[in-house]
Amino acid sequence: MPIRQLSETVINQIAAGEVIERPASVVKELVENALDAGATRIEIATAGGGLNLIRVVDDGSGIAPGELSLAVSRHCTSKLSEDIHDIRSLGFRGEALPSIGSVSRLAIRSRTAEADEAMEIAVEGGKVSALRPAAANRGTQVEVRDLFYATPVRLKFMKGERAEATAITDVVKRIAVAFPAVRFTLSGTDRTRLDLPAETSDEDGRLRRLAKVLGEEFPKNALPLDALREGVHLGGQVSIPSFTRANALMQFAYVNGRPVRDRQIAAAIRAAYADVLPRDRHAIGALFLTLDPGLVDVNVHPAKADVRFRDPGLVRGLIIGAIRQALAEAGMRPATSGTAGMMAAFRPGGAPSPHAGPAGAHRTYDAARRGWPSGGFDLERSPSRPLDGFGETAQAAFAHRPGADARAAAEPPPETLRHPLGAARAQVHANYIVAQTEDSLVIVDQHAAHERLVYEALKQAIHSRPLPAQMLLLPEIVDLPEEDAERLASHAGTLARFGLGLERFGPGAVAVRETPAMLGETDVQGLVRDLADEIAETDSADGLRERLDAIAATMACHGSVRSGRRLKPDEMNALLRQMEATPGSGTCNHGRPTYIELKLSDIERLFGRR
Amino acid sequence: MRVTLERSNLLKSLNHVHRVVERRNTIPILSNVLLKAEGGAVLEMKATDLDLEVTEATPAQVEQPGATTVPAHLLYDIVRKLPDGSEVMLRTDADGHTMTVTSGRSSFKLQCLPQSDFPELTAGSFSHIFRLDAPALKGLIEKTQFAISTEETRYYLNGIFLHAHETGGKLMLRSVATDGHRLARAEIEAPAGTEGMPGVIIPRKTVSELQKLVDNPDIKVVVELSDTKIRFTIGSIVLTSKLIDGTFPDYQRVIPSGNDKRLIIDRQSFAAAVDRVSTISSERGRAVKLAIADGQVTLTVNNPDSGSAVEEIAADYDSDPIEIGFNARYLLDVAAQLGGTNAQFMLADAGSPTLINDTADEQTLYVLMPMRV
Repeated sequence: MPIRQLSETVINQIAAGEVIERPASVVKELVENALDAGATRIEIATAGGGLNLIRVVDDGSGIAPGELSLAVSRHCTSKLSEDIHDIRSLGFRGEALPSIGSVSRLAIRSRTAEADEAMEIAVEGGKVSALRPAAANRGTQVEVRDLFYATPVRLKFMKGERAEATAITDVVKRIAVAFPAVRFTLSGTDRTRLDLPAETSDEDGRLRRLAKVLGEEFPKNALPLDALREGVHLGGQVSIPSFTRANALMQFAYVNGRPVRDRQIAAAIRAAYADVLPRDRHAIGALFLTLDPGLVDVNVHPAKADVRFRDPGLVRGLIIGAIRQALAEAGMRPATSGTAGMMAAFRPGGAPSPHAGPAGAHRTYDAARRGWPSGGFDLERSPSRPLDGFGETAQAAFAHRPGADARAAAEPPPETLRHPLGAARAQVHANYIVAQTEDSLVIVDQHAAHERLVYEALKQAIHSRPLPAQMLLLPEIVDLPEEDAERLASHAGTLARFGLGLERFGPGAVAVRETPAMLGETDVQGLVRDLADEIAETDSADGLRERLDAIAATMACHGSVRSGRRLKPDEMNALLRQMEATPGSGTCNHGRPTYIELKLSDIERLFGRR
Repeated sequence: MRVTLERSNLLKSLNHVHRVVERRNTIPILSNVLLKAEGGAVLEMKATDLDLEVTEATPAQVEQPGATTVPAHLLYDIVRKLPDGSEVMLRTDADGHTMTVTSGRSSFKLQCLPQSDFPELTAGSFSHIFRLDAPALKGLIEKTQFAISTEETRYYLNGIFLHAHETGGKLMLRSVATDGHRLARAEIEAPAGTEGMPGVIIPRKTVSELQKLVDNPDIKVVVELSDTKIRFTIGSIVLTSKLIDGTFPDYQRVIPSGNDKRLIIDRQSFAAAVDRVSTISSERGRAVKLAIADGQVTLTVNNPDSGSAVEEIAADYDSDPIEIGFNARYLLDVAAQLGGTNAQFMLADAGSPTLINDTADEQTLYVLMPMRV
C-alpha cells in the first residue's frame, strides 16, 4: 500500500482513541471546557451510561458564531497561545471536540453575551454540518449522542451501563471538589440525581463540598493541611487514621486545580499513613497542590491524568511532612463514627430483640465503613455485649475478686478529670480501662495502647542516631539495571545512616559492604533489589526505614502489657498520661483505635434526659 | 516379621535415627522408620528426609524375618517410656497393616506402611574413601559449625566446606564455614585417600546429626564421598547425605595476612567480660567496643535507652592503640570455641577483618568482621 496522508476524520478517530476512552472521558472534557469558559452552573445529563446521551449545559462565556466551526476542528483552541509552558486552563490541546465529533453525533449550541441569538453546529461521525440559528440562553450546550457508533470495536469494550454511569459520577465528583463555587447537577435515567449547590470558594466552602462528595461524616473526621515549601503549597483535607476505606478511590488529588491520578502522590499519601494504617486500609480526602505552572508538566497524558513534577522529591516530602504533622497535631481524636456506632449499639437497650431491626443493619454498615476488622472489638459482634461491660456481670466479677483490685479511688481528684483522657476509674474484662473526664467516658484497650507507646519509643530510639552496621567479610555484589544502580548510589548517604553501606561497582552493579546489624543475617540481594524498585517508584529510600520499623513493631508487640493483666489504678493513670503525651497513640500499630470516647451528652441522650 | 530385643539397644538406635525424621511431612511414609530383620541376629532401622538417611543395626533375636515401616516419633516415644531393662517384641500382624509392640504387660498396635514404598537414597558410587578418628572428625565439625549461614538465599553457605588443601608441602583436610560476617576454619592432617578429593559442602542438618553420632572416642569413622553424596560409617551406624550443589566462595581472600597488631588475652576472663558488659544491650546486633592500648583492653557497651557498661582487662599488647567494635554475640561464639588459655587477636584497623586464634592451636582460626558504630 502506498504511503498517503490520512483523512481528517481518521486522524480524529485515532486521537479519540487516546482522549476519549469511555463516556466518562467525554464528560470530563466537556465539563472542563465549561469551567474554562467561566461557568458558575453546570448541568450534566446522561442516558444509557453516557453511551446514548451526554448533555452538558453551562452558563459560561459561550462561543462566538464565527468560531463554532473552528471549535470542532483539530488543534483549534482558545486556551493556549504560543507558549506550551504557560498553561493556566484545564484544557489546552484542542483535541476534545473534534475527537468526540469523529466518533459520535455531536451538537453544539452556544450564545455569547453579545450575540443576539444562539448558533448551532452538528458533527456526525466527523462530518461537519452548516451553522444554523437556534434558541438558547447565554452559555454553551453540548450534546453527544450515540457515542462510539462510528467505532464499533470500541463500543464493544464498554462495560455495563451501570459501570459507565458510576465512572461518570466519579469524574464529576473529582472535578466538583476543585470548584466549590460552581453548582453541579448530574441527572439522567441511568442514575440517582447528584446536586452539588454552589458554595463559597474559601476553605469552608470546599469542606462543605467535600462533605457532599465524601459523606457528611468526613468534615468531623478531617484534618486540614496547610504547608508551603519552596514555592509549592499543599492544602486540602485528609481523614484521621480511624476513618478509612478499603480502597483509595476516595483520595482526590489536584495540581493547580486540575484533577490528577498520580502514582507518586498516591504513594506519598500511603507513606505518610504507613505507621497508622494497616496495609489494606486507605485514608480519604483531597489534596490541593499549587505551584508555578512552569514547575510541572501536565502534557504527559492525553487525558492529563498524569503529571510530571520538576522536583518530585520536594512534592513527596511536602505531602508526607504535611500529613504527618497534621496527624501528630490531631493526636487524640478517635473517629466520631466510632461513637456513632457505639451510640447505635446502646440504643436498642429497651428493644425486645437487639439482634433484629434496622439498628443492627446500621451498625454493620458503620463497622464496615469505619474499617475496624470485625471481631477486633466486641461491640461489633453482638449488640447486647456492650451492656455487659457496665451491667451486672462485670460488677459481679468485681465483687467476687476483691484481691485483684482494679477499682480506683472512690472520687478522683478534679484536676485529673481535666486531662484529655481523664482519670482511670476501673479496669473491666482485664483489658479495658474505663476512665472519666469532665464531660465524657473513655474506654481504652490497654494492650493496643501500650503496644503503640512501646513502638513509638523504639522507633524514636532507632531513628535518633545512626544505626550500627555489620561489615561483611566479602562485599555482596548485586547486579542491577544501570538506572537502578545509579539511583541506589544517589541515596547511599541515607542508606548508610540506617546501616546499609553500598557503592557503585561497575556500571550495572552495586557492592554492599555493610548491612544494618539489627537485621542480623539477611538476604542482601533481595533487600537491595526491593529498595531499588522502591526508589524508582517513589524516589525515596524509606523502604529500609520501614523494614527496621517492622522489627520495632514486632519487638513492641512482645514488650507490651498483654490483655488479661490486671493494672493498678496508678498504672492505668500512668498509661493514660503517656498516651496523651505520645503522638499517634490514638491508633494501634495495625490501625485500630486504642480508645473510644463517649460524651456525657450522648450518655444522657441514651437515657432520654435530652 | 517378629523380633525380640533389649529395650536399651532399641532405644539407643531409635534415638539416632528418629531425629532425621521431620515432625511434619507431606509424604506420609517419610514420617516412618523402616524396620528390617533379614536373617542374622540384627534389626536394621532406617530413616530419611530424602536428603539425609541414617541406618543403624542393633542385636536382636529374629524369630521370623521380614520388614515394615511404622511412625518413627511414635515408636521412639513408646520405647522411651517402657521400663528400663525390659525386653521388647515387635511383631507384624497377619494382615500386614499393623505392628504390635509388646513389652511386659504393655501392648501397642501401630499402623504400618509397606516397606516397598520406603524411599531409597541411591548412593551411586563413591570416588574417594578415607578413615578418620572420631575425635578428629568431631573437632572439624564442632569448631566451625557455629558459623554456618542460616540465610537460605545463599544456599552455598548453608553448610561446612570440607576439602583437602596443601600448605607447606603438607596435605591438610580442612573444614570452613561462614555466614558473611565471620568465618571459621579448622584443619587436620589429611588421612590417606583424600588426595584429589573434590571440595564438598555438607548441609547444616547433616552436620548437626553427624556431630551427635561421633561421640565414641575410640571409633574410626569411614568417610566415602563423590561430588554429589557423602557417607559416614560410624560402627554400626551409616549416615548418607546429599551434598549442597554450589560453589563455596574463595574464602582464602578474606583471611587477612598483613594484620600486625597482636593482642594476647586470657580467654576465659575475656569471654566473661564480654558476657557481662553485653547484658546492658538486650537487643540483637548491639556492639561491644574494644579500646586496646598498652597492656589493657577496655570493653564498652552503650545503650542510650538503658545505660552503659565498661570493663577493663589486662592484656598483652604493645602496638599503636586501636578502637574497634564487634557484635557481642560473635565474640562470645568465638571465645566459646577457643579451647585454650590464651586467645590471640591479630588486628589491622576498625574497618578490616580481625583474625582470632588459640595460641595453643595454630590449626584453627576465626575471622571476624567488625561493626561500625
